[in-house]
This record gives sequence, C-alpha cells and structure tokens, in this order.
Amino acid sequence: MSFKTASEGYVRYQGLGNWAFVLHRLTGLGVILFLIIHVLDTAAVYFIPSLYVDAVALYRSPVFGLGEILLVLSIIYHGLNGLRVIYFDMINPDMWTIEINRKSVIWTWVITLVLWLPAAVVMGSHILEHLGG
Amino acid sequence: MTTQTKRVEVPQGWEAFAWKWMRYSGVLIFILAWIHVLIQDILVGVYQIDTSYVAARWNGGFWRVYDFLLLFFAFSHGMNGTRQVLADYIHSEGGRRALNWILLILWAIVVVVGTITIFAFTPPAG
Repeated sequence: MSFKTASEGYVRYQGLGNWAFVLHRLTGLGVILFLIIHVLDTAAVYFIPSLYVDAVALYRSPVFGLGEILLVLSIIYHGLNGLRVIYFDMINPDMWTIEINRKSVIWTWVITLVLWLPAAVVMGSHILEHLGG
Repeated sequence: MTTQTKRVEVPQGWEAFAWKWMRYSGVLIFILAWIHVLIQDILVGVYQIDTSYVAARWNGGFWRVYDFLLLFFAFSHGMNGTRQVLADYIHSEGGRRALNWILLILWAIVVVVGTITIFAFTPPAG
C-alpha cells in the first residue's frame, strides 16, 4: 500500500473525528521533527558554543518566527485533542459516539484558537519589534 | 443517528503497553510542555534567549531536572508516535522491525546528547 492510497482512505472516511485524528498525527509529526532539531541546537550550547549563537540567530529570523507561531498552534491542538482522546479512552469510553465525538472536536478547536490567538499576537509583536535588526 | 459500541478484549503485550504509554505520558507532557512553551516561546521569547540566559536558567537543579523530564517523556512519546504512524504504512514484518530499530537508535542518540547537555553544561567563563 502506498501513501497515496492510505491517505485517500483517510479522506474517504470523512467526519470531524477522522479529521481530528489526521491533524493529531500531522501536528505530532511536525512537533517531533522540531523537537529533534531543538534538542540538537540546544546541545550546541554545551558541545559547540559558537554554533549555539548561530542557531539562536537563525531562530530570530522572521520566517522561523512564523514557524514558531505555527509550532505553538500545533502544540496547543495536539495537547488539547490528546487530553480529549485520553479522557474518552481511559475514563469514559461510552463517549466514543459519532455525535459526542463531533461536538468535542469542535470544542477542542474553539479552545485551541482562544488560547492560540493571544499567544500569536504576543509572538507576532515580538517579530515586528525586531524586524530589521 | 444511533451508534452501537462494543467492548473488546485487547491482548496484553508490548503494543498495548505502548498504547497506554502514549496516554499516561501525554498527561504529564501536557503540563511540562505547555509551561515550557508559555515561558520560553511566549513570555521570554527567542530574542532574549542566549548563552547567558541558558546559564542563568540552568544555574540550579530545578530547571535541569524539569528539562530532563520534558526531554525524556516528550521525545519518547514522539518517537513512539512516529513509530505508530509509520507502522500504518509499512506492512512487512522485516520493514517494521527495521523501523523499530532505526527509531530506537535515533531515540537513544537524541536522549543521550540532550541529557549530557542538560547536566554537564557549565557557564562559560567571563
């Protein structure tokens, strides 16, 4: 089975619960990719101190700043959706119905955006303050 | 629309352990990672982070232990998650075994490198 057929399978089995599942995986993979890079760049502070200065300079560029805002969105969503899944799986499995699942996914996104927007404003204003040096 | 749910017996083994691990570690990481992101990304921000910031932060033991726990649990959670995602696209026994070994080695390298950094770091002189 190729990735293409597998992803088509995901898309065909529609429903908000499935989109929550797909986004949980995508945000998780995005965060772990960043985490590998982040552990290694932080390791530079001990192993190659001069490289750490370069790494931080790269993180201060506007493109990485925007990436950081998306990273925070991924972490907020993955965390909240994860708690939702944990609650359903471990505490109240009877809530695994299409209707409750659908509503809880909507609420997960409402809370995600309410928490993310102020964070994005703060981080975005930091980027703007430091534009051009 | 009504749905029928059914409870099934799941065989206890490594995969069941891994499934539970994702949930238990997830609760812990939710706390550790969110506080980390709130402080480092939002309140402090990358423009104030440099070598002397790291030195001040790792001056005592508390944040070193905190960062080690975050590293260990978040990275283990993420590597196992990666394994679970990729295993859905790899269907051969040998392919999955290779995947497990590659991710285990990557996991060990990053955790060891990160742990050395957290506990061996000393502020540069001057």
